[in-house]
Amino acid sequence: MVEVVITNKRTVRDPEGETIHKHLILRKGFNSVKNVRAGRYLLFAVESETPEKALEIVKEICEKLRIYNPVVHDIEVRLRG
Amino acid sequence: MPLTDSEIEEIRSILNREPTVEELAMFEAQWSEHCSYKSSRLLLKLLPTTGKHVIVGPGKDAPAVELFPGIAVVFKIESHNHPSAIDPYDGAATGIGGIVRDILTLGAKPIALLDLLYMGDPKDPHANWLIRGIVKGISDYGNRIGVPTVAGDTWFDYAFDIQPLVNVVCVGIAPIDRLVLRGPRANDYIVIIGNATGRDGLLGSSFASKPLSGEDEISAVQVGDPLMEKLLIDVIQILVDRKLVNYIKDLGGGGLTTAISETVADYNLGAEIYLDRLHTRQELTPLELLVSESQERMLLAVDPNNFPKVVEILENYDVMFSLIGRFDESGRIRAYFKGKLVADVPSKELARPRAIRRSSKPPTEALKGFTPVVDVPQIESIEKVIIAVLSSPNIASKKWIYEQYDYEVGARTVIKPGWGDAAVLRLLDGSGRGLAIKGDANPRYTFLDPFNGSANSVAECFRNLVAVGSKPIAIVDELNAGNPEKPEHFWYFEEMLKGIAWITEELALPVVGGKVSFYNEDMYGRQIKPTSTIVGVGKVDDVTATKTFDFKSSNSVIIVVGITYPELGGTEYLYRVHGLEVGEIPRPRPELEIRNAGFILAAIRRSLVSAVHDIGLGGLITTVIEMAIAGSTGFSIDVSKVLCRGCYRLDEILFSETQARYIVEVDRDKLEAFLSLANEYNVYASVVGHTSNKSTCIIRNGDKEVSVFELEFLKNIYEEALNKELE
Amino acid sequence: MVKVAIMKFPGTNCDEDVHHVLKNVIGLDSEIVWYKEYVTNRYDAVVVPGGFSYGDWLRAGAIAARNVVMERVAEDVSRGVPVLGICNGFQILVEAGMLPGALILNSSGRFVCRWIRLVVENARGPWLSLARDRIMLDMPIAHAEGRYYIDEETYRRIANVSSIIRYAQGWNPNGSLYDIAGIADEKGLVLGLMPHPERASEPELVPRGFSPGGRIIFDSLAYSLKKGW
Repeated sequence: MVEVVITNKRTVRDPEGETIHKHLILRKGFNSVKNVRAGRYLLFAVESETPEKALEIVKEICEKLRIYNPVVHDIEVRLRG
Repeated sequence: MPLTDSEIEEIRSILNREPTVEELAMFEAQWSEHCSYKSSRLLLKLLPTTGKHVIVGPGKDAPAVELFPGIAVVFKIESHNHPSAIDPYDGAATGIGGIVRDILTLGAKPIALLDLLYMGDPKDPHANWLIRGIVKGISDYGNRIGVPTVAGDTWFDYAFDIQPLVNVVCVGIAPIDRLVLRGPRANDYIVIIGNATGRDGLLGSSFASKPLSGEDEISAVQVGDPLMEKLLIDVIQILVDRKLVNYIKDLGGGGLTTAISETVADYNLGAEIYLDRLHTRQELTPLELLVSESQERMLLAVDPNNFPKVVEILENYDVMFSLIGRFDESGRIRAYFKGKLVADVPSKELARPRAIRRSSKPPTEALKGFTPVVDVPQIESIEKVIIAVLSSPNIASKKWIYEQYDYEVGARTVIKPGWGDAAVLRLLDGSGRGLAIKGDANPRYTFLDPFNGSANSVAECFRNLVAVGSKPIAIVDELNAGNPEKPEHFWYFEEMLKGIAWITEELALPVVGGKVSFYNEDMYGRQIKPTSTIVGVGKVDDVTATKTFDFKSSNSVIIVVGITYPELGGTEYLYRVHGLEVGEIPRPRPELEIRNAGFILAAIRRSLVSAVHDIGLGGLITTVIEMAIAGSTGFSIDVSKVLCRGCYRLDEILFSETQARYIVEVDRDKLEAFLSLANEYNVYASVVGHTSNKSTCIIRNGDKEVSVFELEFLKNIYEEALNKELE
Repeated sequence: MVKVAIMKFPGTNCDEDVHHVLKNVIGLDSEIVWYKEYVTNRYDAVVVPGGFSYGDWLRAGAIAARNVVMERVAEDVSRGVPVLGICNGFQILVEAGMLPGALILNSSGRFVCRWIRLVVENARGPWLSLARDRIMLDMPIAHAEGRYYIDEETYRRIANVSSIIRYAQGWNPNGSLYDIAGIADEKGLVLGLMPHPERASEPELVPRGFSPGGRIIFDSLAYSLKKGW
């Protein structure tokens, strides 16, 4: 199982994260939360010989099929568990 | 484009010293093509821009035209081609954001959006990705700000595979006495409202002023925040209603620099600004503060006495703001950062660089447009041909796109997408009045013959407004061209402009505004098909009297208004079926446009017609089929009854894209009055067939039956074509 | 004097449409109320209109539902004030727990704007008092997160009691379970629906083949405020 987390690059605005932070978190008094970033989570169930191979396959998919836009997004591809 | 050596020399002589880096950045942003129009300004003077109803013409933030006594319509077009090529979603979304804010600068209420998209072949994976991103970007942003996207124009063409054209339009209305027309006064506070400034979009305008290089273009990417945009829309309505602002400006291309320099140049003022007071997202240098293009920001000029009330309203509506300086009468812009003077430039020289008259030369490729179309192969199966044309992405139903747009919000949309040649919105002021709006372009026409091609786009827009029953009152245009430094690209721009200038004068249609987008080429220096997008507004006296194009009855008569010539050059048919993009394109016919339009409007006024559809892409047979599909009504037409001069072949009659023609549905009991009126107006009208209560579409040639289709079959092709490529 | 509150959050965008219908078509006095300014015990009815409150970030209606103003609205409900949630308003009411179920992404994965046909069951309460049972109503939808979900147990419990508005046979645009387009609480006081009745209250806005099915909801309110329900 391979997890993919897509977020906006740090230099790119994240209005979703900002709005959740300002209008929900801070408004309810949780001042200790300094920042919230929003993203998209995808879970791939991959059949492969090794976990490393599965990671590679998903990384390739993300690049080739434009699962994320490398111009604006950062992507974290990791094994689950 | 970085400043040229001669430009830097000029800056040195303007300032009489070495410029600071902040000052250089200001000049670079302001003198970029996108902001300064240095390549196009001279030629733009050719356009007719005045008329007795024009309130605000070109050159200001947004054009305004008197729609009805006391009521103004404000509409503007903008392109966001370059950002959409690398980040289609955010590029298109922020395009919408920018154009809406421009309408807000006059204090008008935005009531409609149009998207005019010229994109690649959906079969190409990259283009397909761009198409989806662009549509979703417009959908997500436009829907969230509560402004309906009611009409558009869409074209799919391999020439746009890498560099799509995304032209967006916003329409607003306002009582004329509410328009914010005067400038700031000396001593007014400079208040920046909206989102915090960040490092995004640094030098985005100069990005738009050079061709795509393929390198990392991240600093040009801006992400939109439609929530803040909606708050800006709301707050500005309130501030304008209560007369609390003297002047409103959008922070768009060129950021703070452009907003301030254009303002002070236009109104003979100066400004003193303290950059460190600007509300920001992160630590920025003074240079970054001056030229950042962070979205959803506007500038207000506020009389100091009104400032406390303004603050109260902004805080109540959760809109961030900062007071960064004041306007004065110095004629200079002085920018300070933490006490230090970082820029001191004269406003007029900053805002107006010398315009350049570019060289212009037709490329050999232009000969394609001068070649009459002669040797077109005979078609074997008319069925296959009609299917090919009807399923062309340029003709097929655009439902896949417009169902992603909320076109109903605002409760004004009377003629909705897919029903009429133009969108019709009611004013919602208790009267039955409204406006019609439509946008058109034909990249193939302008590629083959830029002068006549752009003239035809104006005519198409004109006809579309007339077909719903509105009187066209003004247009705006967007000219999308290649690299102005290459004479063989610039020639297309020049000719397109001249074509518009010519026909708008003939049609008495003022061009109240417009934009130019250059450098639309890919990394190999290939330009896109030059495209002139025309958007027109028509006035509607009674929205309930407007006409949609669906056949209304199964027992009425089908009439072709206008005369057909065998003009197959540059047609959709010629390309889709024969793979050819050549030929003399259909001639613009302004005199016939005026005559036929007068007749159509009179016929609609006298309730003599049930449905009207202008004949455009795909020729008259496509037009009739579209009316049949929309009305779920079969028909039978006889091509030998079509008034055609010089047509010898079936395809010439069916698919010619001769201008100034309409298909009209007339009830049998109104036929006599209709034909008599046509006579009065000296207009050609041929009765070519009738609707039927059968589910078939029959094409005859005299007493020979040429082809029979099941309506359901055609409907399926028409509605599924785009879904197949994009689903 | 009867007064209807039309709630406005940052991002609400159908407030003026509702105001127009109530004022110019139905003849009810209404006021657009900025969420910060809502007070209990002042209004005879509340409409939470459509739009994208807080940008629909996190989940549609999720942030607005947690705002203290919704507690004030709940208080008014407990005193018998009718509340209508349209589209985003429905999403907010569901997120706030004032109506059962949940609203998630359309099964097509996309935003969709089109006219559909509905059928009303167990028509009762102030919002449906003029609707007879099984009446068919036409209205447009415009949403991305309109797929209604409810667990079987809850559904069985309320199915015969609460008013339910369903997409008519063949008209379900988003995969909503049990074809539910709208639902009311057990008292009928709180009604939520995804389609937009304010866009379907005047014939000139209705496309060919449909009729203005939204008006009856507002007419019912006007009637019920006068005559009870």
